[in-house]
Order: sequence, then structure tokens, then C-alpha cells
Amino acid sequence: MSPWLDFVLFSILAATAVGVVILRNLFAVVMLGAVFSLVTAALFVVMDAPDVAFTEAAVGAGITTVLLLGALTLTTRHERPGSSGIAIPLAVSLITGAVLVYGSLDLPRFGSPDAPIHLHLAPEFLVGREPEIDIPNIVTAILASYRGFDTLGEVIVVFTAGIGVLLLIGRHHVGRRNRVEDAADDKGEAPDSPAQSPPEST
Amino acid sequence: MRHHLILRIITKLLIAPILLFALYVQVHGEISPGGGFQAGVIAAAAIILYGLVFGLEAAERAVPPSFVHGIMVSGVLIYAGTGVYSMAVGGQFLDYDQLDPHYPVHGQHLGIVLVELGVLFTVSATMILIFYAFAGRPTPIGEKDW
Amino acid sequence: MIGTAADIASWLFIVSGSAGIVISALGLLRLPDFYTRLHAGGVTDTFGAELLIIGLAIQSGVSLITAKLLIIGLFLFFTGPTATHATANAAWVAGLKPRLAERPDERPDGDNP
Repeated sequence: MSPWLDFVLFSILAATAVGVVILRNLFAVVMLGAVFSLVTAALFVVMDAPDVAFTEAAVGAGITTVLLLGALTLTTRHERPGSSGIAIPLAVSLITGAVLVYGSLDLPRFGSPDAPIHLHLAPEFLVGREPEIDIPNIVTAILASYRGFDTLGEVIVVFTAGIGVLLLIGRHHVGRRNRVEDAADDKGEAPDSPAQSPPEST
Repeated sequence: MRHHLILRIITKLLIAPILLFALYVQVHGEISPGGGFQAGVIAAAAIILYGLVFGLEAAERAVPPSFVHGIMVSGVLIYAGTGVYSMAVGGQFLDYDQLDPHYPVHGQHLGIVLVELGVLFTVSATMILIFYAFAGRPTPIGEKDW
Repeated sequence: MIGTAADIASWLFIVSGSAGIVISALGLLRLPDFYTRLHAGGVTDTFGAELLIIGLAIQSGVSLITAKLLIIGLFLFFTGPTATHATANAAWVAGLKPRLAERPDERPDGDNP
């Protein structure tokens, strides 16, 4: 039963990815992106990783879709067709994919108990959790305590993303929106080139 | 307004349970799947839902951008502050055993709670901030061109 | 551990919920107009998912899992029809009109309230 489930989910994932690449209507692409995230969350549940599935469903299928739709209102709805040919990118993708598949043939079987990553630190964490930390969820124990420094790095990355958005798009004030629209109407500008609209600076 | 009547009523009913669920996920991060990241995203989703249905001005009155900036910064400060405090008391950086010298297990619990709180603050504030930044820009294209 | 009657009942609910979802997907593909497809799509959220949740709740007896499942079912019960309504409202406000049957004797102007 489980190989068939993996097979079905992965084929849905591949079909969605092909759809995201081929479609020109950006609205449909954003919706397919939400479907992609949801199927990935289902795959994570099948792989017995509920924490990651939780985060992927919430972030990918929820927040990212809303933010992409918000970004879509600032630009056109149809993707402009690409100008260059597809021969060189296709060759690069195929060669990279073939090299990756060839490299993955040497990996141990998925989830096998005598793979090297399961022999050195993982037993130490699993055994040492009881006397040292004593919380039931091993994932939180590893994330927050054993590998707390990495989580600090993740939090700083999220913080940097927020700072980057603040710097690029700028802190707006609610009244400015109406004033900018009034100014545009006064000057009689036609909204014809959204790609060249000047960025709103603070 | 008449168009969005049902949406507004249902949203008013649902925002409190969503925030409560975010709190539940945050606090139960040690027992069941959950933790700071998931709880932060769910809390931000509640505020973004409010902003989508009631308008950006109402959302910014409820959760002002300056407050969001403060929360975002204090999340990182709480997390790094835990590490610096444990270093100041005598241990290594982010060594939670130092937070309670008599019972190291309690120190670990306290450290994990503080750290997850910092993660919750930063993640939720960043999501709300990005939504405010995207939704606050005037649309350069008209309704008919879209 | 769980009686045969509870097993049969939960099996019935889960199968009918899954059948509802399959029928709704079929309707999404085959129905002609946007509003009729919306009818079909709304069935998944409120009919299929609710029956599935009831079947799973019977399967897990009286426990915390049942309480959580029922709360999720209540949440879906509220948000499924709201999502369908929001989609239909957005389509109506944007100007999409439903495709009605042509009846020249009864509706001379073809308009609808």
C-alpha cells in the first residue's frame, strides 16, 4: 500500500511542477504552487514527519499563496513569453539531473537503520534525551536544545528577510496610498507599463 | 459592504479560535508536533485573514506596524539573550543547564520555552510585516487591465 | 477493541465520504459552467470531509483524538460553505454571469436577479 501511495503522490507532484512551468497565466501558477505545497505536506506525513508537514502546509499552502497573490496585484496576470531558445537550458537541466541521479545510486537505502547518519549522533540524542531534557517530542528537543544554534540561525534568517522587505518595499503609511492615487489621477498617467513603475521609497 | 457580509461574520467568529489554536500549538510544542515556527505562521494567518476581509486600515489599527516591528526585534533578542545570559552565568552559549543550576532538566525546559517564544515572535511578526508591505502598495494597473 | 457495529458504521461513513469526494471531483471536471462547477467543488469540503471525519471519530472511540477531530469538523463546517460563497461572490462582482437555458417565451431579457 505504501509504495503505491508514494507513487501517486509523487506523480501528482511532478504533474503540478510541469503545470507550473508550462502555464502562462500567473494566477493559475500561484494556485498550482499551493497545490504543490499541499501535496508535499501529504508526502511528509507519509514519511512520518508531522512537524515538517505542519510547517509546510501552513507556510506553503497558506501564507505563501496569499503573499504571492498580493505580489500578483502589482504586476500583470500573464507571463510574457521567453525570448531565448530552450536547447541550452534543457541540456544543462538534463545533465545536472543525470549527475544527481548517478550520485544518488551510492546512497544507502531510504531509512535503513545501518546508514552512517543513524549510527553516530542519532542514538546519542535518542538515549540522552530522557535524562538530560525529558520532553516527549524528540524533534523539539533536537531543534531547540541539541541544535539550538542552528535554530538561532534560522530565526536570524527570517528576521533578515523581514528587514530586507522593509528596506526594499519601505514602510508605508496608510494615508500615502490614497495620496499617491490622487496624484496619479491628477497627472493623468495611464497604467500601461507596470514593470517600469518607480519603487515607493520611504 | 453588502457583498462581504457573510465573510465578515464568519471571520469574526473564526479569528479567536485560530489565535487560540496558535497558542495551543506553541505551548504543546514539547508534547506533540508543533513549536514556534508553526504557531507563528498560524498566528500571522489570523491577522492576515483579518486584513484580507476587513481591509488594510482596520488591520493596521488593530496591529500597528510599529508594534509588529517591536515584536520582530524582541523575538531575536529573546533567543540570543538566552544564549548570552547562559554565557554570562558561566556556561557556554545557549547552554540551558545554566538557567537553573540546581536542576539542569528544569533549566532545559525553561530554555526551550524561552527559545520557542522568541521563534514565535519573530516568525509571526515577519509574516505580518511582509503582508503589510505587499498589500500597502498602490496597484499600478487598473481593475480592468488585470 | 472496538465493536463490530462501530467498525461497520465507521467503514460506512468513510466509504461514503470518499465516494462523495470522487463524485465532486467528477463534477468539477464535467460540469459546463463556473457556477455549476462551484456547486460540485463545495461538496468536497462540507459533505465528503465531514463524513470522513465522523467515520474517523467513530474509529477512535472516546478519546482526545475524537475531540480534536470533532473540532476540526466544526471548523470545516463553517469555512467550507463560506469559501464557496466567497468564490461565487467574487465571480458575480467581477461580472461573470451564469449560463442559463434559453427560454424565449418566459425570459425576454435573459436577466437574472
